[in-house]
Amino acid sequence: MFEEMLRDLTKKLLREKTADCVIGYAPGRLPFQTEPIIATSENELNHLAWNPFCGYNLARYLKYYKNVNQKIALLVKGCDARSVQVLLNEEQIPRERLFLIGLPCRGLISPEKLIKNYPNSSPNDFLWNEQGFFYRSQKIELYPFLEDTCQRCRYPNPPLYDFLIGEPITISNYQIGKKDYLEPLDKLSPEERWNYFYREMSKCIRCYACRNACPLCYCQECFVESTKPQWVSPAATPSDNFLFHLGRTMHMAGRCVECGACERACPVSIPIALLPLKMEAIIREEFQFESGVEKEALAPLLTYRENDPGDFIK
Amino acid sequence: MIDQSWEPKIVAFLCHWCSYAGADLAGVSRMQYPPNIRVIRVPCSGAINPLYILKALREGADGVLVSGCHPGDCHYISGNFYARRKFFLLNELLKWVGVEEDRVHFSWVSASEGQKFSEVVTQVVDSIKPLGPARKLVKEFVVNV
Repeated sequence: MFEEMLRDLTKKLLREKTADCVIGYAPGRLPFQTEPIIATSENELNHLAWNPFCGYNLARYLKYYKNVNQKIALLVKGCDARSVQVLLNEEQIPRERLFLIGLPCRGLISPEKLIKNYPNSSPNDFLWNEQGFFYRSQKIELYPFLEDTCQRCRYPNPPLYDFLIGEPITISNYQIGKKDYLEPLDKLSPEERWNYFYREMSKCIRCYACRNACPLCYCQECFVESTKPQWVSPAATPSDNFLFHLGRTMHMAGRCVECGACERACPVSIPIALLPLKMEAIIREEFQFESGVEKEALAPLLTYRENDPGDFIK
Repeated sequence: MIDQSWEPKIVAFLCHWCSYAGADLAGVSRMQYPPNIRVIRVPCSGAINPLYILKALREGADGVLVSGCHPGDCHYISGNFYARRKFFLLNELLKWVGVEEDRVHFSWVSASEGQKFSEVVTQVVDSIKPLGPARKLVKEFVVNV
């Protein structure tokens, strides 16, 4: 039903020239997969999809339209809309050129978690519709199979949209699960945490998929590719990997919208989002700020208060 | 066991208007402080990119000292207020990933505080010595994963 609504709406937008192109999802080549499409004609929109596997943050593509005078219809989930808001605040794209189609989202399903739990099943055993998710015609509880970032989602509804498909969701996954992924790590000693992160960072192959999937990484020249000065060596040694991820976290400080696109893009399953997530948790606590929620909000590193925490400075 | 004769190498980022002048005052007043710091002068503590600090650690610095004007005394009015937020977040992040707390130090030293500068450097060196040479974040030339 929602997919039909979506197709009708986007076709209408193209027909009436409200938008020159539609950025959305299409079914992927494999089950449990979708791929992004950028549609400029109506028949391309016949396959437009909306299901719990639409993982890409499509706001990623807006950076290519910064200097292209086209009107874009963009599909946004809660987290995607927040990243669009950050891009608007940072003046990366004018609001007039965007038509945002809001999609209230109950969370994305992690195929890995499904396969782990139902080892001897085929993709045909699973069925999804507006009533829920079914395994061999038995309804299953979604929460345990959601992506990590979706299990702690606070914003299932887009805070910013022009048209909302369906009804807003009243209870967020964060309220359902009360899961805090940082807590187990906070309990470890610094040495144990170091060992944990060192092991994870050693896996990194520095493909930069995390950076490329991030809707807010739009620098013309990224610090990892700068050679004068060379901040990070291109060799994927653990220390350089660590430096890359710490540098990335500092760049995302107060901007990250916790969409988890980086984590899903990682081909070696590093829980990369943990570092920016910790950063956002600190910023929420110390500076009472959440990115992408308020219009024209100033990022915490672009402002200051005279009574900011300063006990660590001698 | 830490080698008693080992001396740490510490990179000090000092702001031109306060801490660098403070260090100069300590020098011309003949105040004694450990010779472990290598000074890099920067225009303002607000001009210190967190990457400078990370890069220093990666290149093998045993410690980093960052020093600027006292809040409210910035030559550029508010540079050190912005810096304080950046440093706070970087400090929390480094602590959280498990880098030793005493590797990276921050201080405010004004141009008239030569005495304070020598005390700060002594304190910094004293707190870094027990940690031994830096190994975390230092570029490894043999990768043993």
